[in-house]
Amino acid sequence: MRSLIVKIGLLLVMPFPAWAHTIVVAPGTKVATIKQAIALAKNGDTIRVEKGTYISLNTIVDKELTILGQNQPVLDARFQEEVLTITARHVKLDGFIIKNSRTGSMRDFAGIRLSNVEFVTISNNTLVNNFFGIYLSNCKHIQVLHNRITGSNNIENSGNGIHLWKCKEILLNGNYVTRHRDGIYFEFAKKCLIENNFSEKNIRYGLHFMFSDDDTYRHNTFKNNGSGVSVMYTRRIAMLDNTFIENWGSSIYGVLLKEITDARIEGNHFIRNTTGIYMENSDRITVTHNDFISNGWAMRVLASCNKDHFTQNNYKGNSFDVTTNGTLKEIYFNDNYWDKYEGYDLNKDGTGDIPYRPISLYAQIIEQNPQSVMLMRSFIVNLIDKVERAIPSITPESVKDEKPRMKPWKR
Amino acid sequence: MKTLNIFILVLCCLIAACSHAPDPIRYGQDACTHCKMTIMDKRFAAELITAKGKVFKFDAAECMAGFLKENPAIAEDVKSVFLVNDFSRPGQFADARKSFFLRDSSLSSPMGGNLAAFLSLPAAEAAKKDKSAEVYDWSMLLSKNK
Repeated sequence: MRSLIVKIGLLLVMPFPAWAHTIVVAPGTKVATIKQAIALAKNGDTIRVEKGTYISLNTIVDKELTILGQNQPVLDARFQEEVLTITARHVKLDGFIIKNSRTGSMRDFAGIRLSNVEFVTISNNTLVNNFFGIYLSNCKHIQVLHNRITGSNNIENSGNGIHLWKCKEILLNGNYVTRHRDGIYFEFAKKCLIENNFSEKNIRYGLHFMFSDDDTYRHNTFKNNGSGVSVMYTRRIAMLDNTFIENWGSSIYGVLLKEITDARIEGNHFIRNTTGIYMENSDRITVTHNDFISNGWAMRVLASCNKDHFTQNNYKGNSFDVTTNGTLKEIYFNDNYWDKYEGYDLNKDGTGDIPYRPISLYAQIIEQNPQSVMLMRSFIVNLIDKVERAIPSITPESVKDEKPRMKPWKR
Repeated sequence: MKTLNIFILVLCCLIAACSHAPDPIRYGQDACTHCKMTIMDKRFAAELITAKGKVFKFDAAECMAGFLKENPAIAEDVKSVFLVNDFSRPGQFADARKSFFLRDSSLSSPMGGNLAAFLSLPAAEAAKKDKSAEVYDWSMLLSKNK
């Protein structure tokens, strides 16, 4: 509901005064660069840029303008500067190819930079080979829609695709980000909505939160990144209906949670990740209605976690359902479907009659001694797991699903 | 004879494994021991080698300080080696005990500590941008973290 209000608020922000003029920029004419056009324009005007390639060395947009690219004109910074900086409110930038910003270790050069502004829309642009793609610093009420952002995939020259620093109430919808450091990075960004984005093959994370509270991300796909999504030092994040797929490798996760509280993880798909969810120092997290399919570890819940609830999830084809590194307290499992459950349902109520213990002895051994992974799927491991399930002696007694489902939840 | 060669080879490997030399950080691949993030930024990375030769890698000095707060025995061990990347020479290690640490809001270090290491005090002072920026030495940095 809150996110809906934010959305409506964002829709109401573009003024369209009746006295507005249109300035046309085309190569070889009197107005051959956007810089000239901005100098000529007044607040409320429209700049239409015809097809062509324009050199743009940190063009500053300091008036309330609508800047429209016709047939994708190219703005090129030739690796010398930033491409475009927006410092005015109520700017709309649509339909450009923005490429080749400068890279450098001392300053964060960007393709499009928004600095201290409100009510700006950045839509339908293609960003290629920029250090940072779209960089929002200290902004409010911004929409970033349907942009395609491709980085260099080079560790030294890769900033983040979409970077937010100290922002509030930002909408990111329908963007595609690849080959950057983090696809989308939120630092001190609050009350934002991230939906329908696709983030793949980024070096570090598909999406990354640091000190960012009250954000929602939903219907996004995070495929084959260094790790899918990392949420750190953050409160009240909602993670809804996302897909985390093929985030593979050592110390790589679908979702990495560290020191977060009061988060909701609902309706997500975790498919073929090394670890679906990794949780450390994370309290009051609810994980419901998710599918964990064919992961190495569906979840690694460290002993520093408290008061977390896992209900109505499906766990199918994972090498390990749950592991931990110590004694778990106040971790609750209920009504989940586990394909490894071997109990029975005599009263036919759809719920198994004996509890399921998701932490296997072998998983505990691997947690202590990673080399023992070579015994995976061996007869002796099956045997000790069967014995341990029958007479638990080492695995945490408290961690069990009292009401395991006999059939998977239908979504 | 062959078994002897293999034995010597294995022995050499074991001896090599015990050396106290710093282990180069594989940027983009190695994960930070403390925060689990992939180490990416050559300006801020750090490394710790314990007296027993165990290597821990960090993506930022603030992460190494945080790890030492949780492991005070390693922090107080004189045989521990603490290495930090020199901010003005990215990717080059310096001895943390002899370095100076600038906390300045303009430095966006990976874990939000806004902390960078410099070889010399003048270099750290010269890099100041914010009025409220502060410079610490290693022991001050660790005590700040307590």
